[in-house]
Amino acid sequence: MQDLVVNTEDDPHKGQPATEPSTIELAEIILNVQDLQIGFGSKVVIEEVNLDLRKGSIVSLIGPTGSGKTTFLRSINRMNDKVSGFWTKGHITISGKEVLSPDIDLLELRRNVGMLFQRANPFPMSIRENILSGVKAHKLAKKSSHDDIVRDSLEKVGLWKAVEKRLSDSPFRLSGGQQQLLCLARSLAVQPRVLLLDEPTSALDPISVEAVENLISKLVPEITFIVVTHSLAQAKRISNHTMFFYDGKLMESGPTSKIFEDPEMPETQYYVSGRMG
Amino acid sequence: MVTRAISATESGSADNHFVPSVALGNNPIRIATAIVSTLPLLALGSILVVLFFNSLPAIKYNGFHFLTSKHWNPGNFYANPVTTNGVTHPILANYGAWPLIVGTLLSSLIAITIALPLSVGAALIVAKSLGPRLRNLLGVFFELLAGIPSVIFGLWGALTLGPLLARDVYPLLARHIPNVILLKYFRGTTGSGEGLLTSGIVLAIMIVPIIASTTRDLFLQVPKLTEDGASALGLTQWEVTRNVTFPWVSAGIIGATVLGLARALGETMAVAMISGSVLGSLPTNIYSTYTTIAATIVSQLDSALTDATGLAVDTLAEVALIIMVVTLLTNVGARILIKKVSTTSLPVGRGI
Repeated sequence: MQDLVVNTEDDPHKGQPATEPSTIELAEIILNVQDLQIGFGSKVVIEEVNLDLRKGSIVSLIGPTGSGKTTFLRSINRMNDKVSGFWTKGHITISGKEVLSPDIDLLELRRNVGMLFQRANPFPMSIRENILSGVKAHKLAKKSSHDDIVRDSLEKVGLWKAVEKRLSDSPFRLSGGQQQLLCLARSLAVQPRVLLLDEPTSALDPISVEAVENLISKLVPEITFIVVTHSLAQAKRISNHTMFFYDGKLMESGPTSKIFEDPEMPETQYYVSGRMG
Repeated sequence: MVTRAISATESGSADNHFVPSVALGNNPIRIATAIVSTLPLLALGSILVVLFFNSLPAIKYNGFHFLTSKHWNPGNFYANPVTTNGVTHPILANYGAWPLIVGTLLSSLIAITIALPLSVGAALIVAKSLGPRLRNLLGVFFELLAGIPSVIFGLWGALTLGPLLARDVYPLLARHIPNVILLKYFRGTTGSGEGLLTSGIVLAIMIVPIIASTTRDLFLQVPKLTEDGASALGLTQWEVTRNVTFPWVSAGIIGATVLGLARALGETMAVAMISGSVLGSLPTNIYSTYTTIAATIVSQLDSALTDATGLAVDTLAEVALIIMVVTLLTNVGARILIKKVSTTSLPVGRGI
């Protein structure tokens, strides 16, 4: 519980992920964003987004509501495609592959880039089938190894003991926090390389928040995280890179400690000091 | 400690502003809602009781074999009535409801088989692929279709659709469908267009709007967050529909189907006009003329009223009791099915 209150003056790295910045610097670049511009119809929603993200990073996207964080996040796995009038310019590449290209295998992209939403969204099927839904869709494993995948994924999120005996039960009987962990386990089961988290803990109690945050720290460096959050404390606690969006622009982007302690732009200063948003 | 705290509170409130719960019992709104909420139950109960007592002489006279016999002979109304088992009846009166029961169930089954995939497919397209304007326009169309009087469907089926099918479609079906298990009933004589299949099709058209509009509303209620979750996991549109959308609404679709089925089971006018109204024999294939319980009641009531002993009318009451019970059983069955579907998959008050 103490981790929930981070005193950055004492120790700026307290509660930060196990991965040291030095190892991240050596890692390959997994996500590259170049001059990204996103809009709906004649309206430009985000512009001038650039980012080089190394494997194993945890990036938090912060900024006031409507600043374009979620739109950016959802363009990485092309979830905005269905919105009418949506368009993009620029480039997003994941491991060298152009995400915005019309030729990309969307299903494969989404297997590689998982997503966790604001509220838990279990599917209307048993806990076990929830975990296996992605595995089956992508035909990732033989039927004989399904049991292992279910167990492994649930163990990773620390849910195994709680649901071991009720795998065939409805997931909707679980608590909100457990449901969100189940959704995380479901995403992990298809072995993604990047996970997009859209305010994943905004509907959870502090203890569940801690559980999810600890998990994120444990899952790097295999998985790279991009987290939209309205909690500045959470951004400080979990991320090593922070992007501050303001009014559709990427105002400032850099190491989390720098954004929070020594921001360059006055808007960033204003926001991270808690006087806005 | 705790006990003391509670008793202190209780005595405190009793002294000052404790409102006895009995007072709520006198609340006129409570009484009014209690009366109103028991009305449907009272209505259902009294219908069953009245039907039962009206059909009592027929139940006594016709016995159990009424359910299995296929004769329908009201007897000789002009000869002196005789008395059997304490029931006065026209001589030679002999009734059996089996063909009516079979006809009712078969025509409804055909109608549901045609209507269910059609309506669910239409609802899915309307809810998921159309913009709000076109969706609303089609909604209006569904409601219009649901509002057409059944006698018009009956006329259309008897005068237009039936003869057309009998001339151009049924002979082809009868000739080319293979002679295997269930499909063999598509072979044989095709008749003039009045019969099981024609009325099944017309009934289907009548219940499509009921099932489709209910199902469309259900599809629109599936949380976008859950469907998005499945898309974001890399499932195809069809997989999302099959794995998330359908299970989410399956209980509701069963409910909608029962609404449609109840309409088909009880549909009277259209069936009376298209069935061929054949009493006393079972259909031999899917084109056969037949009759249903509801159609028999409407077509036989007039002559039944001329039975001075009242047995003919009582027998109609007995078949009405049967259709009532069949409808109730369908509803109970659907409830059981819905409960079964809901407990394994649907959210129960949490996490939605």
